[in-house]
Amino acid sequence: MTDPPPQGHMYLYDSATPPLDDGSYRLTAATEVSYQGSRQGFSQETYFTVAGPRFTVPQAMVATSYPPGNGHGPFQDTLAHIVLSRRTLPWERELDPSGLIPAPTIPPGAPPAPGLPVPWVALLVFEEGEYTLLRGIPLQQAVPADVFTRLGSPANISCDAVEADADLVASILPSVEELQLLAHVRWVNVDDRELNTAGGDGYYAVVISNRLPSASAQCRAILVSLEERSDLVQANPPPVADPRTGPAAPAAADVPASAVPVDVLPNPIFTLSQPPVHTFSPVIGPPLTYVPTARVRLVALTSWQFTCEGPGTFRQLMQNLDVAMFGTVADVGHPPLSDTGHLPIELQDRLGASEAVWYRGPLVPYNLTRDDLGPYHCADQARRVTPETGAEDVSYAAAFEVGRLLAAADPRLAQAIMRWRRESYKQSARASTIGALADRLPLELPPTLAETLHTPITPIIGTAATQAVVQNAPPQADAYGLARVRGATGMNPADLASAWQLASSVEAADLLGADPGTLGAVVSPPAQTTRADTTLAAVAADTAGLDRLAAARAQAVANAATTLGAAAPTTPGGA
Amino acid sequence: MRSASITNPAALAERLTAKDQVDASVPESTMPPYMEMFLAHLRVLIGVPFDYLVPDSRLLPDESIRFFYLDRSWTDRLVDGAIAVGKIGTREQAHHQAHSADVQSQLDLTERVVRILQRGLPAPAEPDQSPARVLTGFLLRSAAVTGWPAMDVRAFSTIVPPFDGDPDSPAAEQWAQAAAAAQLTTLRLELLSASVLLAIFDGIPQLVWCEAPHHNIEFALQTTADVSFYLDRHGAAGQTEAGPQVPVPVRAANGRVVAVAELRDRLAALTGPPVVPQTGSAAFAIELLDYPWRQRFQGVKSDLRVSSGAFVSKYQVASVITDPDVSTAVTGLL
Repeated sequence: MTDPPPQGHMYLYDSATPPLDDGSYRLTAATEVSYQGSRQGFSQETYFTVAGPRFTVPQAMVATSYPPGNGHGPFQDTLAHIVLSRRTLPWERELDPSGLIPAPTIPPGAPPAPGLPVPWVALLVFEEGEYTLLRGIPLQQAVPADVFTRLGSPANISCDAVEADADLVASILPSVEELQLLAHVRWVNVDDRELNTAGGDGYYAVVISNRLPSASAQCRAILVSLEERSDLVQANPPPVADPRTGPAAPAAADVPASAVPVDVLPNPIFTLSQPPVHTFSPVIGPPLTYVPTARVRLVALTSWQFTCEGPGTFRQLMQNLDVAMFGTVADVGHPPLSDTGHLPIELQDRLGASEAVWYRGPLVPYNLTRDDLGPYHCADQARRVTPETGAEDVSYAAAFEVGRLLAAADPRLAQAIMRWRRESYKQSARASTIGALADRLPLELPPTLAETLHTPITPIIGTAATQAVVQNAPPQADAYGLARVRGATGMNPADLASAWQLASSVEAADLLGADPGTLGAVVSPPAQTTRADTTLAAVAADTAGLDRLAAARAQAVANAATTLGAAAPTTPGGA
Repeated sequence: MRSASITNPAALAERLTAKDQVDASVPESTMPPYMEMFLAHLRVLIGVPFDYLVPDSRLLPDESIRFFYLDRSWTDRLVDGAIAVGKIGTREQAHHQAHSADVQSQLDLTERVVRILQRGLPAPAEPDQSPARVLTGFLLRSAAVTGWPAMDVRAFSTIVPPFDGDPDSPAAEQWAQAAAAAQLTTLRLELLSASVLLAIFDGIPQLVWCEAPHHNIEFALQTTADVSFYLDRHGAAGQTEAGPQVPVPVRAANGRVVAVAELRDRLAALTGPPVVPQTGSAAFAIELLDYPWRQRFQGVKSDLRVSSGAFVSKYQVASVITDPDVSTAVTGLL
C-alpha cells in the first residue's frame, strides 16, 4: 500500500498513530563486557522530548475546514469537520494518561467497542451567544487546578479558551467511544490540486463534530483539547432520544436540558448568598433567586465561524458562477474593451505627453497565431500601431519590459545568462579557429560542427601539422653531414688520384682511410649467430658452460684485485 | 568607449545571419539549468504581476470563471525581455538572434515540467518531445476557491461522459482509463490569492471539471419535516445502496447532537442490503459521507459554455478498508 490512490479514489483509515506519543522520554543504552571471567556493565542515559502542538494548533496545520471559514450556506444538515494536514495530530497525545475515566459499560448484546486509539481533540460547534472565546489567557485560567497539575504544570503558557455552560458542554461533548468514531485519516490523490495540496503526500486527518447547527444560526466550530479532562469526558455515551418513537420533547428545538425552568434545576452548583438587589414588587409567589449556571472552560486549539444562511455550498457556488470567455464584461463598454480584447489605457510618451494606447494581456479570448518575427532585442521593436485607430499597441512591449524587470530582479539569473553567453562565445571562438586551421591543414574532422567541438582537437591538429611538415622535407639520410664532407675536393678519391697522380682511385681511397663506413657506404650489420630457444633447466644442465662462466668470473675478480692492488678487499663470494 | 569591432553594414548583417555558433543541442551552449527553469516559469506566467493578466478588475468580477487562450507571442516577448538583461552590444544580439529558435523550442518542452518540479516530484524519465501545443486555461474568482481551495481540476480533450455505473465493475475501470487518456496536462494550477485560482492546460479542452476535494467531502444527513434525521445506506465503495434509510439517533439532552455511538451500533446491527462492516471510524465515515459535487464545463464552440452540473452519483472511496491484509499493512506503515 505504497502507491497513492488512483484519480477519483481515496482511502480511509481509522487512525494514524505516531511511533512515539508526545512526551518526555528517557533513553538508556546498556552493554556488558566480560573479560577473563570478570564482567562489567556500562550504561548511558539520555533524555529527549517529543513535542507537538498541545495548546494551540497553528493555522498551517489546518488544511481546510467544512463549512468554510466565514462561509454562508445551508450547513444545518451537515456535520462540521476540520481537515488537518498532519495526519497523526489527533492521536499524538493521550486523552487520559492517568486512567481516571472508567472503562465504559457495554450493554449486553451490543457490539464490542472498536478498541481504537482515542483522540485527544474534539470538534465542538457552538452557536452565537452560547460561548465566550477568551484569547491569550494563561493556561491556569483555562483549565481547573487539578487538570493543570496533571498536565505537568507547564509554566508561561498562554492559550485561547472557550467558555460555555457546563450543561451545554455536557450535552455536546462526545464520550470516549464517540471520540474514536469522530476522527479518521484519509489518503487522497493530489495530482490535480493546487500547489499547496499537490506538493503534499495526500494524507489528512479529519475530525468531525457531532452537532448539527441550527438553521440561520451564526456558529463557531472550535477544535478543543480534552487532554486530562476526565472531569468532562464521559466513559458512556449519554442517553438517546429514540427517533422511532419521535424525538424527545425538548429535542424538537435546539434547547439544551439546562434551559428548563431554573426552579427545577437539580443541584445548582452554587447560588448567590444574597438575593439580587433589584427585585420586582410586589413579590408574588416565592422570591426570585438568581441561579447562575456553571461555566466550564476548554482549551481552544483553533476555531472558525460560519453562518447557516444563504447559498454557499460548493455545488451552489459552482452552479451560480458567471461563465464566459475572458474579455466578456457584464456591462458592455465598461471597460471599453475592443472586440479583439484590447483595453485602452493612458500612457506617458517620451515627451511626457499623455497618450491613449491599447493593451492586451496574455489571456485572450481567441486562439492567436504565434509571432515568428522574433527575437526582439528591445521593447521598442515590439511596439505596433493599429491602422484602424492610429493608436499604439503596447501589449508586447509591456510584456518585454515585465520580463526584463523580473529578470533584472534576480541576480542569479543574470549570472546564468552571462555564463550562457560566455560559454557560447568560447565555443564560437573555437569553431572559428578550427575553421581557419581546416582551411590550411587537411584535418580529419567529424562531419558536424557539434561533434567537432566535442572532439579533442589538439592531437588531430598535431598529427596533421607533423604530416604536412614531413611531406615537404628531404629524406633524413645523412645525419652527420658526411655527404657534404665527401663532396669536398680533398675527400674525393678520384680527384685525389688524379691530383697526386696515383695509380688508381682505390689507392687514394686507402690513403683516406679506406673505411667505407666513414664514407657513407651502407654497412651491413655483423651476422648474428643463431641460437636455439632454450629453457632454464637446459641452462642449468649445461655444466661445461657454467664452469666456463665461473672461470671467467674468477678471472675478472682476479684482474680487478690486481688493478686495485693488494689492499683491495676480497670480494665476497657470489658478487 | 570601446570602438566598434564591426562597422561595415554588410559585415554586420552577415554576423547577424551567419550562424557561426554552436548548436543548442551541444551541452556547452545549452542554457544553464537555472536560466532554463526561470524562463520556463515565465512561459506559464509565474511571477507576472496580476495587473498585467487582468488589466481591469471588471474583467474578472466576483463569482465568475473566465476561460482563455494563452497568447504565446506575449510569453515569447516576456522571455525576450528576460534574455535582454545584460545585452549591451551587437555581440549579445547576434548570440541571441542565432539561438532564439533553439531557446524557443527548448522552452516549449521545459514548460511542461515546471509543475512537476513545483510539486517536488522527479522530472519524467522520458519527457514529452511533441511540438508546442496551444495553451489554454481559466481564472476562477469565487468563494468556492476560498472554501475549497484544493478542488480537483481536470481538463479533457474530448467530452468524457459522466459514469453512472457500479464503481467496482470493469466498466468503471475502462471509463477511468479513457478519462485518463483524454486528460490534458495541467501546466499550472495555483492560487493567486485566497479567492482566485489560475489554471493553465496544455491543449484545447472540450471539458473542464472542478470537483470538491476528497479530503473535504461533507457529512450530510437527510432531514424530514419533523426534524428527524436519516441516512442513506452506503456500500464499501461509498455507493448508495437500496434499502430503507437509517434513522439517525440524537441525544436526549440535545436534539441536534447525533448520538454517534448509538448510530454506529444501529449501523452494525443493520440487516438487509449491505453497509460497510462497522470496524472503526473509517467505516463509520463512509456511511456519513456525501458525494463530492463535480461541476462540468463543456462546450463545442470556440467559447466554452457551462452545461448543467452533473451530479456524480457514484464515486469510489476506500473499498480497501474491509480488506484485513491491507489494514494490517497500513497499521504497520503508519
